[in-house]
Formats: sequence, structure tokens, C-alpha cells
Amino acid sequence: MSLLGEFRKGLWRENAVFRLLLGLCPTLAVTTSAENGLGMGFATTFVLVGSNIVVSLLRQVIPPKVRIPAFIVIIASFVTVVQLCMEAYFYDLYKALGIFIPLIVVNCVILGRAEAFASKNRLLPAMADGLGMGIGFTLALFVLGAVRELFGSGTLLGYAVFGSGYQPLLLMILPPGAFIAMGLLLACMNLFDARRR
Amino acid sequence: MNGLPRLVLALTLITVGAGLLLSLVESLTREPIAEQRRLETLRALQTVLPPFDNSPDADTVELVAGQDRKGRELRRIFFRARKDGALAGVAFTVVAPDGYSGNITMMVGVDPEGKVVGLEILSHAETPGLGDKITRDEFKGQFRGKTLAGADWRVKKDGGDFDQITGATISPRAVVKAVHQGLQFFHDHLSEVLAAKGGVQ
Repeated sequence: MSLLGEFRKGLWRENAVFRLLLGLCPTLAVTTSAENGLGMGFATTFVLVGSNIVVSLLRQVIPPKVRIPAFIVIIASFVTVVQLCMEAYFYDLYKALGIFIPLIVVNCVILGRAEAFASKNRLLPAMADGLGMGIGFTLALFVLGAVRELFGSGTLLGYAVFGSGYQPLLLMILPPGAFIAMGLLLACMNLFDARRR
Repeated sequence: MNGLPRLVLALTLITVGAGLLLSLVESLTREPIAEQRRLETLRALQTVLPPFDNSPDADTVELVAGQDRKGRELRRIFFRARKDGALAGVAFTVVAPDGYSGNITMMVGVDPEGKVVGLEILSHAETPGLGDKITRDEFKGQFRGKTLAGADWRVKKDGGDFDQITGATISPRAVVKAVHQGLQFFHDHLSEVLAAKGGVQ
């Protein structure tokens, strides 16, 4: 598959959240607003690209028997880098995402891509794959966060969308709202795909 | 080289590399992170204190406020704000352990007469849309001007002076109680807070 193909598959056809249903724990937990979704998405993308690069470069060196601990060490290092940088330069976002930044380590999208793709492919395809999967993940979190923020708080990226008379549908930013919004978005995507075929 | 030594060597090298990278990043971000935390404290101090011209975060008194369940000392830091050398107000943090979810950390500012100037919520994990309304100005504002003796430190539902929030009584109740205890502690240790030169007593 071409580099562009590796990049594009993560956006829709193999979208981590909406197609593979991977990494749902952070997805459902942090998407109370579009901004949180974006922040989490970018952090995950950085970790995904970084770990894909290193795993791909070291794929001949890492013995298959210890590959999983090796991958986890690599991923955990990138996550810690993200956490420290975010605390130093994006303090508000750091406080909003809280415990979910260290939990990127156990996001199965990242280990999944290291195991299924980066450990078997050369550097450039692995980078394209990581970037595509990461951006796909970010888009999914942004859309989910935007929908929940729009109905749950009546705002989008912090700006009021509906008039002041709007009574926010509180349920949408509470945990059950995550499942409901996720289910409805999945249904919309399936409907769209079915129509196109 | 095959078998076990190779596995050990590979993992060791990877972890050493990871360790080196992390120590480098940590040393680069240490100062900005300390600065961010200091700025956060300063921002909170500015909202809860009357105007001042010193650095309250450098003019502090630390008192032992009791012990936690494990017998460790609980310390409370008092930030002293001064204007033209005279005491303008004192700020201190209080923690409400009995919110709806997790601790609520707050900064309370009082003037030299013991009147509350402002309240700021530093961190909390209350339910979005319900309990988190304690961060709104309508809620925080009702503490302004209150004194230890001059108010009934309970929410209205319990017969006190403070408005609770529709659908969320637990969070406001915890906040009111914690602020009250903080003021009581301040009142009881007034001479130590005001007289001390600073540092740990």
C-alpha cells in the first residue's frame, strides 16, 4: 500500500474509535468538551507517531519474546514526555485532562499499532500509519467532544452557540452521555457507509 | 549471542535509553513547571486578596493544623499580603474532604479584620453541570464580607446563610464547612500568623 494509503486508512476505513472501537476508555472519559477531545487527540497522536518510529527502527533489534515489555517501555517514555511538556507549557489543558494523560500508556490503539504495524514495517510507512491513526483518533474525539459539549453545555470550543434560553442537556456531559453520543455517531457512520455502497 | 542474555541485553538497552530521554526532558521542563505552579498560586492569591504590592507566596507562615489518619502532620500555609508595608490581608488554602467526589481544594482570603475577601476553587472533581457550579461567581461571591461570628456557616437547606445549588447540596455544604473550619483555625492562631517573621513555626 502507498504511503498515502497507510495515512488515509486511519482517518475513516480503519478509524481507531469508530471502526476498530479501540481506546474507548479515554475516548468516553475525556470528551466532555471539544477542546478536551482535541488535546487528548494531539497527545495521543504524538505518542503514536513517536512509538511507531522507535518500534519500527528497533524492529530488527527487539527479540520477539520480549517485544511487548519493550513496546510498553517505549510508549510509556513518550507518554511521560508528553505529560511533562504539557504541564510545563499547556497547564490548563494538563489540569483538564488530569489522570487520562498517564493512562495513554494503556491505550490499546498505541500498543496495537506497534504490534500490528510498526514492528513489521519500515520507518516511513510506520510514520504514515501512526500519523493517520492519530489524526483519525483526534477527529473522532473532537467530533464526540463537540457533540457532547454542544448539547450538554450549549457551547462549542467554549463559545456559546445557542441563546441564553437554552437549557443544557446535562446528561450529555455525564458518563452515560458518552455512550449515547458514541452510539448515535456510530449509527450515523454506518448509515452513511450503507448509503454510499 | 542468543537466548536469555540477548533478551536481557535488549530490554536493558531500551530501558536505559528511555531513562536517558526522560531525565533530559525532566531537566528541561522542571523550571517551567515550577513557574506554572507558582503562577497558579499567584493568580489565586490575586483574586482572593485585597490589592497588595509584595509577593505573598514568599511571605508565608506554615502552621501545623493537626494530624491526618496516619499520624502525619497536616500543615497549613498562610500567605501574607502587604501594601506599603502594612498587612493588607492573609490567604490560606483549605481542603474539603467531604465533597461529592474527591477533595475540593480552595484558597480563602481574609482582610486583617477577619472578613472574607474572596474564595477561589483551586481543584475539584465535582459532577460537571451540577456540583461544579461551586466554581461560579454567584456561589463564590456570597462568601465576600462574611466573618466567622457574623454568619451562620451552613447552607440554607440546613438553616444557615449560604445558598446551596439546585440538585447539588453536598458540594456547597462541603465548601461552606471547610471555609468555616479554615476561618476558625485562622482566628485561633491569629497571633502566630500575624506576628511571626515567616517560615515554619
